[in-house]
Parts: sequence; structure tokens; C-alpha cells
Amino acid sequence: MDIELKQSEHIDHFVKQASITTDSSSSLANVIIEATSHPSLFAFSEILSVPNILQLQGTDNSAYFDLLQMFAYGTWSEYKSKASNLPQLTPDQVLKLKQLTMLTLAESNKVLSYDVLLHELDVGNVRELEDFLINECMYVGIVRGKLDQLRRCFEVQFAAGRDLRPGQLGNMIHTLSDWLGTSDGLLITIQDKMKWAETMSEKHKKHQKKTEKKLEQAKNTLSLKKLPTISRPTWTPKNMGFYRNMMD
Amino acid sequence: MASSTSGLTFKLHPLVILNISDHHTRVKSQSQRPSSNCGDSAASSNSSAPVASRVYGCVIGVQTGRTVEIFNSFELLYDPNTHSLDRSFLEKKQELYKKVFPNFYILGWYSTGANAEESDMHIHKALMDINESPVYLLLNPLINHAQKDLPVTIYESEMHVIDGVPQLIFVRSSYNIETVEAERISVDHVAHLKPSDGGSAATQLAAHLTGIHSAIKMLNRRIRVLHHYLNAMQKGEIPCENSLLRQVSSLLRRLPAIESEKFQDEFLMEYNDTLLISYLAMFTDCSSTMNDLVDKINVAYDKHSRRGGRTSFI
Repeated sequence: MDIELKQSEHIDHFVKQASITTDSSSSLANVIIEATSHPSLFAFSEILSVPNILQLQGTDNSAYFDLLQMFAYGTWSEYKSKASNLPQLTPDQVLKLKQLTMLTLAESNKVLSYDVLLHELDVGNVRELEDFLINECMYVGIVRGKLDQLRRCFEVQFAAGRDLRPGQLGNMIHTLSDWLGTSDGLLITIQDKMKWAETMSEKHKKHQKKTEKKLEQAKNTLSLKKLPTISRPTWTPKNMGFYRNMMD
Repeated sequence: MASSTSGLTFKLHPLVILNISDHHTRVKSQSQRPSSNCGDSAASSNSSAPVASRVYGCVIGVQTGRTVEIFNSFELLYDPNTHSLDRSFLEKKQELYKKVFPNFYILGWYSTGANAEESDMHIHKALMDINESPVYLLLNPLINHAQKDLPVTIYESEMHVIDGVPQLIFVRSSYNIETVEAERISVDHVAHLKPSDGGSAATQLAAHLTGIHSAIKMLNRRIRVLHHYLNAMQKGEIPCENSLLRQVSSLLRRLPAIESEKFQDEFLMEYNDTLLISYLAMFTDCSSTMNDLVDKINVAYDKHSRRGGRTSFI
């Protein structure tokens, strides 16, 4: 997962910066703004867990903490509903939030219709939407998929992960255990099929042997006794020849 | 054995490995058969110890810049008296190969055995006039089931100062396996060896199913590891590592991997086609058996209804 590799340096950098700036909360706010506008950074939970940032919650600049949380877990529509409490966003941040919204949408469905995307991302027309998808999502590498223009939908094949809310871990474990159960069942089914194939071939062989034995017995009994012929008895040797042919 | 410092990257083609192992197997089987034919007790006690003799040969390929690519190899005779390889044969073979592959040069030599030995240095030095820094490829013919990598090692020679005396010693180098499309097909073929008589339908089905079974088993094992890890993380035994969690969540989001309508349609169509074809084959089989039976009945019973008539209709 190359996104994670690309991000890890930036994450480390910002975590360091956040832990260093202890003087005032406004400089921490600057760190947050820098982090949320950075073009290749999509993961914020490490920064969220830095103790300096957590302290920011109670102070005046707690709006910035909420902003960071929004970037970690929320979408563009959530931002719009809470826009009054949160500080203004620069265009970089707007772009990033829309990209993160894309990731959240990809979480729920694999096929996203253009209408849903137009609505959620506040984009005017399909052309802008496609530009956004191609340039900002696929070239960056956070999403991989196919655009289907005829059916006006976007099929997602891969989407990078967003930060996990604390409750989502349980869901993931549940999904994993389901997957595990399915593959276990499949393994058992395959083994049963193999055993079935073996038993069927055994049965077939036995059946063949039985019929061959019967054939042998019939041949022996015929050759031993003299058959009452259906047609002229004068042709006895030829009769026997014909009967033998039929048995063969 | 120190590791190489020359910075050359080695690329090995699977043809070379197959050649060397084939050479070794041939020599081994040829040397065992004559000794088993003479029922001499002395000879049999000698041949009971499975000492495989070493085989030697030459490797050829291309060297471009820092990359050494070994394409092919051929066998050479080893003269135990002079401890050297047959020079005239080597030169003749080199000429012949040059005509077919003008780009290939003699890059070094190969041998079989477990470790590189001191006597190998003689041969190595002898080859140094053809190629100033030849490579030595060593194949270990003993099968070690615990070992996951190929038992092939590549050695280069370097001048090291040991005890005040500058000496040439072997140093190991790493290598990569490189394949051309044609080679990949043949390697795949060797990997999926089927029973030579084709077996009945049941054995073929069983072989196919076994392949699928082992693949799914591997997947199962890996999912189990992930599951265990996440459980431990939830209980708090392992500190949460966010980047890993993100990767797992993006992986899980790809499930179910195939569930669109298109897939269902195509799958059912193919399924129906297969069933239809097997039904048709069964039909043909049945009708041909019926035909045979009818012919036989005609031959047996029909003749009494006509005078002298051997022909039957239907």
C-alpha cells in the first residue's frame, strides 16, 4: 500500500512539529492548518493523538481541534452543516476535505452514481466531477476504479483507508471473522468434492468389473450348453458363431 | 564468506539452473547403472555410498555495465590430473555459440556441491584469462525441504589481504531470477506436473481441486493472522498502529470482490454452457451405444425372417 509509505514521512514530520511547539496554541493551530493543506497527507489520527493537540480542546482555539477531527473522520457535508463553528478553509483544505469525502463514500458502496457524487461534493457538472476524480483522486493514488459514463457511475476497485473511529474496529473484526468463516467453509466443500470424485470413480470401476464378470459367466454358460436354435438347426455352427458375436 | 563489494547485479535465467541440474542427474544416473550391473561385492560396497561426483561447466551471457545476465550454460569435462577444465573443448564450444548468439560471452563457470572449495580457485584462475572477473555458480544438489530458496549461490573473486598475503578468495553475491516469456511457460509447465497417463477424469479433477484447495488454505492462514492481530489490538495487548488499521480497512472495503450483476449473468451463462455441453456429450454417447446394440440385434435375430438374407436394415 504505497499511500501509507508516502504518508508516513509526512506523518512523522507533523507529529514532531506538534510535539515541539508548546508555547502557544495559535502556533499549534498553524501546524494543524499546514497539515490539513498538505497535498499528500490523508491520515490525521497520529497527529490527533499528540498530547499537545489534545490539550487544545479546552482552550480558545478548540475550533482548530474540531477542524482536525473533521478532517480525520468527517465529510464535506458535515463541514457545511457545522461551518459556523469551524474556521474558514483555504482552497487547499477544501480540496483535501473533498478527497476525504470521496474516500468515505467509497466505504459504503462500490458503485457510486454521478448524482450522489455531484451532490456530496458540491460540484456543478459532470465534466468538473470527472476532472476532480481523475486529477485529484486517481492520479494522487488514493482511489482506483473505472468511470462508466453510459451508466453515469464510478466503480471503485480500491480506496485508501481513512482514520478509524474508535467504534469501527469492532466492525472490521466482524468482517474478518465472516471472511474467515466463508473460506473455511469453502475449504471443507472442496475436500468433500474431492472425496466425492474419488468415491464415484471407485463405484464406476466396481460396476465395470461386475458387468465384465457377468459377461464372462454368460460366455462360459453359452459355450458349455447347446442352445435351442431359433432358426434352421442345419446351420448350427453358424448359429453358435452369431450368438458368440452378439455376446462380444 | 564475505559478501561481494563489487556492486554488480546478477540476473539468472532458469534455463541455466535446469541445465546444471539435468547435467548432474545424467552423470549420477550414468555412473550408478554400470556399477550395479557388475555384481561385484567390492564394486557394490563402493557404489552403496552415494557420493555424487561433481560436474563442471561454463556459463555464458551478457554483461552490460553493472548488470551481469546469465542466459545459458554448457558442460565441460574436468581433468582430475591437471585440475583444470578441458580448454580446447571450451574454445570450440565458444566459437559455435558465438555463431548463434554473437552477443554472449563466457561469464564464468559452474559446479555442483555444497560449498566452494580451495581447488575451485585453480579453475577460477584458469578462466581469468578469458574473462578478467569470472563468476562461479554453485548448485547444491542435496534436497533440503526446509530451505525455501533455491540452492544456487553465485561467487565472485576478490583480492583480500589475509595474514599479510594478498589472496584471491570467493565472496558471495546476491542474484535475481529473470525470465523471458517462453521460459515462464516452461517453468510453469514443470511446476504443474500431471500424471503422465492423464489418469481418469477423477484424478484430473482431484489434481485441479487440490491446487485450488492449497491456494485458499494460504489465503485462509493469512486472514487468520490479520484477525488475530486485530483482536489483540482491540483487547489492548498491542498498541494501536493506525497506518496498519487504515490498510486493513481499505482491504476489507474491497470485499465482496465480485458481486455485480454482470458477473452473475456471465457466470450463469458459462455454467449453463458447460452443463449443456456435457449433456450433449452424454446424448451422443448414449445414441452410439444404442446404435451398436441395434446392429447386433439385427445381426442376431433378423436373419430368420428372410431366406439367405444377411443384410439387415435399420
